[in-house]
Order: sequence, then structure tokens, then C-alpha cells
Amino acid sequence: MSPATNTERSHKAQKVLERFDKKLSRQVVSSLVSCVHCGMCTDSCHYVLANPDDPSYAPAYKADRIRRIFKRHFDWTGRVAPWWVHARSVYTDDDLEELKDIVFGKCTNCRRCTINCPMGVDFATFNRMARGLLVSVGVMPEGVSVVSKDQWEIGNQMGVLKEDYIETLEWMAEELQMELNDPEATIPIDVPDCDIVYSINPREIKYDPRTIADAAKIFYAAGEHWTMPSEGWDMTNFGLFSGDDDLGGAVARRLYEKVSDLRGKTLVISECGHGYRSTRCEGPNWAKQDINDFAMESSVSTMLRYIRDGRITVDKTRNTTPVTFHDSCNNARSCGFFEEPRELLNLVCSDFREMYPNRAENYCCTGGGGAMSMSEYTPRRLKSAKIKAEQLKATGAKIVVTSCHNCVDGLSDLIRHYNLDMKVTQLVNLVADALVIEPKAEAPEAAVPVATADGELAGYTILVADDEPDLVTFVSTLLEDHGATVIGASNGEEALSLARAHKPDLITLDITMPGMSGDEVFVALRKDPDLRGIKACIITGRPELRRLIYERPVTPPEGYIDKPVDEESILTNVKKILEVHHES
Amino acid sequence: MPTFEHGTIKIEVDEDGFMDEPSEWNEEVAKALATTEGVQELTEEHWKLVNYLREYYLKFGIAPMIRKLCKETGFPLKKVYELFPSGPAKGACKVAGLAKPTGCV
Repeated sequence: MSPATNTERSHKAQKVLERFDKKLSRQVVSSLVSCVHCGMCTDSCHYVLANPDDPSYAPAYKADRIRRIFKRHFDWTGRVAPWWVHARSVYTDDDLEELKDIVFGKCTNCRRCTINCPMGVDFATFNRMARGLLVSVGVMPEGVSVVSKDQWEIGNQMGVLKEDYIETLEWMAEELQMELNDPEATIPIDVPDCDIVYSINPREIKYDPRTIADAAKIFYAAGEHWTMPSEGWDMTNFGLFSGDDDLGGAVARRLYEKVSDLRGKTLVISECGHGYRSTRCEGPNWAKQDINDFAMESSVSTMLRYIRDGRITVDKTRNTTPVTFHDSCNNARSCGFFEEPRELLNLVCSDFREMYPNRAENYCCTGGGGAMSMSEYTPRRLKSAKIKAEQLKATGAKIVVTSCHNCVDGLSDLIRHYNLDMKVTQLVNLVADALVIEPKAEAPEAAVPVATADGELAGYTILVADDEPDLVTFVSTLLEDHGATVIGASNGEEALSLARAHKPDLITLDITMPGMSGDEVFVALRKDPDLRGIKACIITGRPELRRLIYERPVTPPEGYIDKPVDEESILTNVKKILEVHHES
Repeated sequence: MPTFEHGTIKIEVDEDGFMDEPSEWNEEVAKALATTEGVQELTEEHWKLVNYLREYYLKFGIAPMIRKLCKETGFPLKKVYELFPSGPAKGACKVAGLAKPTGCV
């Protein structure tokens, strides 16, 4: 039912009431009607713990400021007996300001009260709804307004221009090349058909691009076929904080469209709690879009996979300072993402100390829900950080790790405020520090566009040596389809004698073969004056064996491909090695 | 609006300690603000960075990208963090009298 028009009501208050019922979903309504005021939520809130004498911080109290409007206009109890259920409408702009002070200034939407509610009341969800209603009539903290405007108009929350973004990436690529002494270590931009499209928080590009350089180093070490998008790269989303679903949808859509345009396989989200939740979990709903053509994951999962699959090697003795882990509310409580970062942390640090409580029960960094952008509430925020400071101190750790940029700043602030002797860092930094990088000698993937036309390899003879018959067939068929003459060999001795007989242009070599191994064949080829001109590409499922090849005192192989192989990486590498250029 | 006092310095700041009125900035104010950011003494290198930030801010009304800051001052990224441990967005901008940068920082 629509609220009755009240001539004494301010224009903004009237608009809030008119828009209220459009926001009511089943989840919101059930949360609005089911509170029994048992008080279980009270001690779960970090604001309450720091202000025990002020009942206005209790989640049930705060929720009732919104609930009473619902009761007055939409619930039969409030329409029949408003005095009985404490139903009350909003009338003036001051009423809205008062509501703003609660929904933006006394709650970070961390959802800790939600998981501790026996009735399943999701206060944070309708607190966000109330924020959205206020934002729709322009009642919001100035910081939220400025950031939302930049996200709407410029496409990222810090107003970073495209040329500045690209220049910064180029700068980080140069630094990386110097560090690794490899001119081919790059940060690719807008490369189509990549396995990974990497999105970031604008904070990284504007103020602290060290995390971008570290991520690039990890992708480099993993031999990843990745790119960063030139647009739609901001995975943060102020729509989550402001409650504005339209903004949420517009921001998420920008990312999704860019990944689709680039035909990327996985959108990787750098370590940011609200960005992860917005992009992966909430975004498709706001954008009213099904995401079927690519996957989405946190960079934490990506890094963990690289270690599990042996694509990167890490040495945990490089990170010996005691560390603890802070769970971002959005990651842990809203997305159930808390085991992966711990597993990764234990692989790259030698002294991990758990924080209590932890995982979904961990306390908010107090900078969540956009609080870092609302200076007017900073004193309240820092006061409410008391419990977090106690938690941190009790761990005895010197470094607190978190997978959230918002938490990095929230924690840094409270560490300074409470004089704790701690530093804040992220997993990407620790993984990069623990990285063991092998000497470089492989052909970079995707430096040449993938072949589409037949016959580009015509005139070339390629010898394929592998003890797996299926792989020989797969690679041979692929290369023949592109015009090459292919000879197959199933062991090292055969490969060497066929090489002598046919003098191929290129030989692809498996390392582990019965009898003469691939590295022995490779060295024999390089030492033979008649055969040393044959180009070699190592294809192996055991990247740890590459040392066997690169330690030899001979010219390194021209290419190197990790198994499992796919058509694209084989063709790209083969063409690169043979210097076949795609005619476009 | 809170007031920040240090010695004879008395200025209005926001709740995060950033200056409210950038025109009141001077070198003495910068020295006073630096003490809140873990910088006890402003060296020549600190000043180079602070002066660049300030000039850019007065011209464009926003904080520069870290890329521009490093390019114009010639400092590597690492150096900026050595000079201002709380980073360019918080420490250096605050000392240079800028308003608090927007967004989640």
C-alpha cells in the first residue's frame, strides 16, 4: 500500500516513503518483522562493545529506527495500532538527517549481528536499503557523494583518467623489468583471449601500485596468459555502501562487458573485500545480468592454485616475522571466503598466529561500509575499534595480513590510534616476497596473435617427441592443420635419430621420457654442429625439472610450454619460435 | 570542526586531521602536522615532495597520481614510503595541507 500523502511532510521525506515499498524484498520484510528484541545482537557489535553505556548503538535499537517506518506504512500491526508496535513515520528533513547518522555513522554493515541473530534478522541488508533511500533524496555523507559521482562519471572511484592509469601500469612494468632483468616481463593491456583479466582497486593505481607490481611478478613467474583491461578495471563498487543498486549495476556491468569484449576466461579480483562481494556475488543481481561466459575469483584463489599446481615456487622462510590474519567482513561473513587465505598464508609465512575470534566471527576493521570515506564519523570509528585493537594485540604478531584494501586503511588507522607496534600488509605482497624465480629463457606467450588461417606453418618440418601417444597425436594434428610437416617420436633415442635424418626446423621435447630423457636429447642436439641450428621447445608437466635444461652450459631452448597444453599456447609458441608472423 | 594545536600552531582540521583551510598552510604548519604522521624532522627531500604536492593541489584541486609524484620529484616509489611511512595518500598529503583524499583510503 502506498503511504498516504501528508501535506506537512517534507518533499524528501515524502519521496523516501514513496520509494520504500519498491525496496521491499522477501528477505528484507522477513528481517523487518521477525525481531523479538532478545538482545543477542547487542554484544556482537563492535560499536556497542566500545560504548556499553549508550543503547543507541545496539543493533536492535538501530534497526528499530528503520523498522518503525515500515510498521507505520506497510505492516498491518502499525496501521491498526501504531502506538502498540512503536510505529512512526518520517516527516521532516531533520528526521532524515537523524536516520542518516544511524545508518551511515553507527553501522559499518559488517553483518556480525546478522550471523549472531537466532531469528535470522539481516540488519545490514535493510540498513543498506535505508542508505539507498536516503541517497535517492541526496541525504548522505559528502564523502559517499563525491566517490559515487566519480564512479558514475569517470568510471572509477578515485577519478583516475585512462592515460594516467596506463602510464602507471607501464611504469610498474618498467620497474618489474629492471627487477627481473628481463625486458619481456610486462603488464599486458587489453590482450584478447587471455586466461586471466586482472581487475584492481583504484587505490592501487592512484597511491600504492606496489601491489600491482607484485601481482604482475606472480603472473610472470606462473607464465600466466593475462591482461589488465584499459577500462572497466575498477572492481570496487560504492553501490554496495551507498545502497544505490543502479550505481552497483552500472559499475559491475562495466567490468563484465570489458571481460566479455576481451573474451577473457576468468575475471580475477585483487584483494578487496567489498570489491569481491560486489563483483562476484551481488553485481549480477544489480546489473540484472547472468554471467556465463567467464568465471570470477579472488586473486587469493589464483595464487593458491599456482602453488598447488606447481606453477610458482615459494619459500616461506623469507617471511619469518610473526603474522596474523584479519578477516574482511565482506569476504568472510558475506562470501564464506576464509579458509583460502589461511591456507595461502601458511604456505608463504613461517609464523602464522590465529586471531580470536576469527573467520565469520571476526570483528570488523571498523573502516567497512564506506566508513573510510566519511570523515565526520572518524572519532566514533576509532573509538569503536577498541575491540579490534585488543584482538590484534593479543596475537603478539608484528604484521596483520588482510585481503581487503578497506581493511588495510581501517587497520592502519586504528594501529596508529592505539599505538600498536604492527604493520599491515596483503597476501599478494607476501607471496611476491616468498617467490623463487627461475632463470628466464622461455618464449613469451601470446606475443604473436593466434593463427586462424590454415597453412601458416607450411614449409616447416616439426619433430614432436613425447612418450604419451595422445599428446603426440594432439600436437601433430594441430600443427599439420596449420600446414606443417610433422614427424612423431615416442622416446629420446628415436627423436635424436629422426632429427639427424630429417633435420627439422623445430623439435618439441618432453623432458621425462623412458630411456634417453628430453634434456639429454636437447644437449645432444645443441652439441652436434649439424643439429644445433634446430630450434627446440620444451613441453613438460613438471616445471620443477626446467632446471635440468637451463643449467646446461648450452644455448637455452627457444621455447618452453607447461602441460597441460592447449591449442593456443602451442600455436603461439611455435609461431613465435619459427618467427612466423600473422598477416592481418 | 576539531582544532589541531601544536606549540604556537592552532588550525582547524577535519576529523581525520586534514587541514580545513589550505590557505592557512605554511612551513611551520607542515612541521607541526608532520609530527602526527611519524615524521619528526622534515628534510630537504621531504620538502621537495611536500612542495610538489602542494603546487599540484593548488593548480588542480586534487592530489596527484603517485606516478606523477615520483616522475616529477625523481623519487622511486620506495623512497616515498621511507619519507612518509603512512604513505602518500595520508601522510604526505596531510603535511602538504591537502584535503583528505576521497575514496576508500
